[in-house]
Amino acid sequence: MLCAALPLLWLPLAGAAATEEPTPEPGSPGEPPPGLALFRWQWHEVEAPYLVALWILVASLAKIVFHLSRKVTSLVPESCLLILLGLVLGGIVLAVAKKAEYQLEPGTFFLFLLPPIVLDSGYFMPSRLFFDNLGAILTYAVVGTLWNAFTTGAALWGLQQAGLVAPRVQASLLDFLLFGSLISAVDPVAVLAVFEEVHVNDTLFIIVFGESLLNDAVTVVLYKVCNSFVEMGSANVQATDYLKGVASLFVVSLGGAAVGLVFAFLLALTTRFTKRVRIIEPLLVFLLAYAAYLTAEMASLSAILAVTMCGLGCKKYVEANISHKSRTAVKYTMKTLASCAETVIFMLLGISAVDSSKWAWDSGLVLGTLFFILFFRALGVVLQTWVLNQFRLVPLDKIDQVVMSYGGLRGAVAFALVILLDKTKVPAKDYFVATTIVVVFFTVIVQGLTIKPLVKWLKVKRSEHHKPTLNQELHEHTFDHILAAVEDVVGHHGYHYWRDRWEQFDKKYLSQLLMRRSAYRIRDQIWDVYYRLNIRDAISFVDQGGHILSSTGLTLPSMPSRNSMAETSVTNLLRESGSGACLDLQVIDTVRSGRDREDAVMHHLLCGGLYKPRRRYKASCSRHFISEDAQERQDKEVFQQNMKRRLESFKSTKHNICFTKSKPRPRKTSRKKDGLANTEATNGKPPRNLSVQDTAAVILTVESEEEEESDSSETEKEDDEGIIFVARATSEVLQEVKVSGSLEVCPSPRIIPPSPTCAEKELPWKSGQGDLAVYVSSETTKIVPVDMQTGWNQSISSLESLASPPCTQAPTVTRLPPCPLAAEEPQHPFNLPYDPRPSFAFPPSLAKAGRSRSESSADIPQQQELQPLMGYEDRTHLSPGTANSHWCIQFNKGSRL
Amino acid sequence: MFGVPELDEGVQKGLFYRYQDLAPQLVPLDYTSCPDVKVPYELIGSMPELKDNPFRQRIAQVFSDDGDGHMTLDNFLDMFSVMSEMAPRDLKAYYAFKIYDFNDDGYICAWDLEQTVTKLTRGELSAEEVSLVCEKVLGEADGDHDGRLSLEDFQNMILRAPDFLSTFHIRI
Repeated sequence: MLCAALPLLWLPLAGAAATEEPTPEPGSPGEPPPGLALFRWQWHEVEAPYLVALWILVASLAKIVFHLSRKVTSLVPESCLLILLGLVLGGIVLAVAKKAEYQLEPGTFFLFLLPPIVLDSGYFMPSRLFFDNLGAILTYAVVGTLWNAFTTGAALWGLQQAGLVAPRVQASLLDFLLFGSLISAVDPVAVLAVFEEVHVNDTLFIIVFGESLLNDAVTVVLYKVCNSFVEMGSANVQATDYLKGVASLFVVSLGGAAVGLVFAFLLALTTRFTKRVRIIEPLLVFLLAYAAYLTAEMASLSAILAVTMCGLGCKKYVEANISHKSRTAVKYTMKTLASCAETVIFMLLGISAVDSSKWAWDSGLVLGTLFFILFFRALGVVLQTWVLNQFRLVPLDKIDQVVMSYGGLRGAVAFALVILLDKTKVPAKDYFVATTIVVVFFTVIVQGLTIKPLVKWLKVKRSEHHKPTLNQELHEHTFDHILAAVEDVVGHHGYHYWRDRWEQFDKKYLSQLLMRRSAYRIRDQIWDVYYRLNIRDAISFVDQGGHILSSTGLTLPSMPSRNSMAETSVTNLLRESGSGACLDLQVIDTVRSGRDREDAVMHHLLCGGLYKPRRRYKASCSRHFISEDAQERQDKEVFQQNMKRRLESFKSTKHNICFTKSKPRPRKTSRKKDGLANTEATNGKPPRNLSVQDTAAVILTVESEEEEESDSSETEKEDDEGIIFVARATSEVLQEVKVSGSLEVCPSPRIIPPSPTCAEKELPWKSGQGDLAVYVSSETTKIVPVDMQTGWNQSISSLESLASPPCTQAPTVTRLPPCPLAAEEPQHPFNLPYDPRPSFAFPPSLAKAGRSRSESSADIPQQQELQPLMGYEDRTHLSPGTANSHWCIQFNKGSRL
Repeated sequence: MFGVPELDEGVQKGLFYRYQDLAPQLVPLDYTSCPDVKVPYELIGSMPELKDNPFRQRIAQVFSDDGDGHMTLDNFLDMFSVMSEMAPRDLKAYYAFKIYDFNDDGYICAWDLEQTVTKLTRGELSAEEVSLVCEKVLGEADGDHDGRLSLEDFQNMILRAPDFLSTFHIRI
């Protein structure tokens, strides 16, 4: 929605750039025939947005083409390719139109292209890392940028005095300083584009990237001060003006940050109250962040800083407040916009460079500038690092310094600023433009191309997934406290003291004010990490063990009934709800009319089939979807250890599972046991008859989770839980249908073959449910949804709790294939007289357990199929309104204790 | 086990005054005769800044001579120097380990971890959640699968994350 909206916003400016000349696009204006026309071109009415859309389309297509070949993209950064493409396109446009078109306009750039990129980086900035290195980042951003600007400017002036620059270049010292100020700033867009592909270690990345974001304030101030000095003429500059210049540095930076924080506060506060209008949540995030940008720009404060702070500040609260879907929407829209803007920027940069009327070449100036920016950057980095290392526990070593110096890429900001210069005041503008273009191209293309081999060659510490996450989380917290305590005791108030204070303040006041109560409760970080780990465990378990185990699943007698069950619900759904359309909007809405539920179920059942090819596509180009560092850090080692441990512990306790579990929810489980666990009772608790008992245990786990989840939906998270829960609700509606329908369909040959691909087939579907592009790939690049929150988490961690039993079970089952069969049959007599319907529902659930044993992917389809059973039991045996507040705890308790 | 790094003269002096401040009536200003003075834990623990800190008692216990939380000047200086940036990583890991090891048995067992988690979350998690988290934490770091973390396990875990201890220091 936003993706579509934003290009429209561009149209005034980009359109203004485009309207002057007839375009070479295929839809060039035709002559409207006089009189009544059957067919009429109205090109001019749509021209501006059309062109914007076309350009974005071209850029996106180019991206697709680049990524067709893995080899090319692994060697050449995308930004280089885009610039080159821009050059080619610019050349074509120039050749066709005889005039340069579609330049990178500073207005477009600053108002429309830059904000999404900065917002994206601010919002997804690892805040802890950022604040840990804030000192270094600020030093490089402020001192480094000032140093670069002045030394470069002065050195160029010296070069001119030495006669190495052609006398045509009429520039005073102030002009050179102005030029130095705009050319010295490291560019966030370029840095992001290049470093994203290099994967240096986190600290290095955050330092370079943080610098590039924060130096905006310095650049803006320097640029403005120098610009006004140039316009005043150096003779008229008073001493007070210098003071004002220094003061404005603080005003601009602190003011920008303040604006950002104010908007972050507003944003957090607003999202607290969007419970009933979930759909506009993503919109709010973008609107308020954009408002922050524009406000700061309006007050000529640092807009980049404002958006960065806004994103950084609001994230914690916004993420806690908005629903999972909104979170996904925010994430994807943000990434899409940023990637879109980045692509367009680089392409337009290339196109702009073709316009030779704008620039004038002077070799001395160009080469001098290139040399000086590299030299002074390196010198500045070395000097500052030397100072900083006096204070750092982990010093930045030489290799880090090399990468930092070399990673000082210049980009579109410099270009836009140089275009903004006033030719009448700065006579050498054309030379500066040419130099800037060369510098930008050199840094992006040459340095961008070589930095990867350089990093490899220097053996820079890469960012690897190396952390046992929960441990880290735990110990970081503990260390913070310990350090704060020690600082308190010795009366030395350092960074940790303030962090501690801040966290207390946040906990006591801010979180209370800005977060919903329910979100606040659940948002304990340690618990959060635990959830996430569970998801990843589960998914990697499916990845690793799914195939092997599923072969055993084939032998399970209950498989057919499962499939017939799936068929049942699909066919019934198709029969029942005439309209096949299920808009996602409806799912977002909490309107739980019967039809909506049916729609949702069907929608998702269908999705299960539909997403299959997509997953493969996604997995093939990894750069393109969103994978945060955090997602990658689940390394196999931890997982394996973890699993091993859990399996061991499970072995000893598995037979108690169903019984211990009943304690938290005695009402529910005992009821269930009436119908379900009769066999269990007869089988006895001791570890005999492994397969059946475990099956029952597994089923129970799933059920109770589902119930609790759905019950919890009555609390605030109603819409949060997403489709799984909708599906569950449907089961109630569908019962009658299902009973009859399933009777008909059950004996019919299964249509879905119970093949090992079941897990694969349904996994993408499952992930697609919460997060469209995050898929489980079977390869090392494991993309796991990290920010799918509780609803998703629960389903997965239920999956995970399911996943551990199967593992131990697998061998047993393979050895005794007939056992489940034999064991299953006695259950029918128990259930059938009881009520025909549970008996009907039971086999599928068994099948499901069987399958989960085989594939250990208790993915949502399974749960959905299970739902009927559950829903039925729910209605017959259970009183509505289960304990909702503790649902997340309970199910874990149940499955783990 | 490890040598605690020596602190600067000036820093020592500053710390001494701070120490003296904690209990002006107990600690003499003249320390040349090395009097056997201890600041009782009650004084340290009742500092207003420490009020919210869940680990105050444990830290005092670990750094005090006999584990009762009463600190001598040497303990006080040691505590600071362990946390300072000069202390090697192993030393910090060692002390962190000691702080975790609530029952002083040389291992971080599930019970120790539960203490830590409970303190950290300020009682917000239920007992079941805490034990689940602990189980997971143990599982992650337990190299020899004995259900508890030895110092070796702990150090291994920390080594695996190179910048793990990078923030574990305070500036003088």
